[in-house]
Amino acid sequence: MPVEVREEARGPVVVLEVRGRVDSASAPVLQERLAGALGTPGTHLVLDLAALEFLTSAGFRVLLMAGKQAGREGRRLVLCGLSPRVHQLFEIGGFLDLFRIVPAREEAVTAARDGV
Amino acid sequence: VSTVRLTLAASPAAVQRAAELLDRLRQEHALPADAVADMQIALDEVLANVVTHAYGGDDSRWVGLRVTVGAGLLEAEVEDDGPPFDPLSVPDPDLDAPLEERRVGGLGILFVRRLMSEVAYARRGDRNHLILRRRLTAAEEDARGGP
Repeated sequence: MPVEVREEARGPVVVLEVRGRVDSASAPVLQERLAGALGTPGTHLVLDLAALEFLTSAGFRVLLMAGKQAGREGRRLVLCGLSPRVHQLFEIGGFLDLFRIVPAREEAVTAARDGV
Repeated sequence: VSTVRLTLAASPAAVQRAAELLDRLRQEHALPADAVADMQIALDEVLANVVTHAYGGDDSRWVGLRVTVGAGLLEAEVEDDGPPFDPLSVPDPDLDAPLEERRVGGLGILFVRRLMSEVAYARRGDRNHLILRRRLTAAEEDARGGP
């Protein structure tokens, strides 16, 4: 299954739910959706990865770019819902320390909104 | 032992074709999901590298893919006639760098190394051959055999 991205606005926070696989073929789709969400000034971002099957380095490249942009602009990017499989990939790639990662979506929305 | 060989046009669609083949083999051979996903991730890295770097986006070129399902083993071989390139020579990225300085170069081959049980490169004639092996764990083999 290629990637599917569902979007939900929660006040100043945009939640992107990423479903399926992010590989070199589908990474541009995620990149476009992240760019769209980051294109609205002042918003913070939650990436819900609970339905993500796996991501390859092409997906990590997109996350890295989004994380850098958010950091530069003083906006928060919070990740949630990492399955054991996805968590393992974050660990191998050394990405666990690069992002704020919380277990569940509601917690992520609060963290993105309030910076807690 | 079951072997499938494909000759793929060197375009981004090659990655999708490979992933689809693995999905089909997973169903046909009751392969464990994690092992198949590991191979799909590794093949994405290797094939994307051939398409983008070895051939510079020239989709009139081809890339050969063999996938073999053996006893306790999932094996793939990727063959291309690009310039000699051993992906195993790529150094690991600096995983301690902070976000602003982090680079993704080398991340793909790091995934290949860590997810595969064995990786072997050979240059034969004018072709690169990369063999990827993912051994099934005892638990995966048991699960495959059914309850």
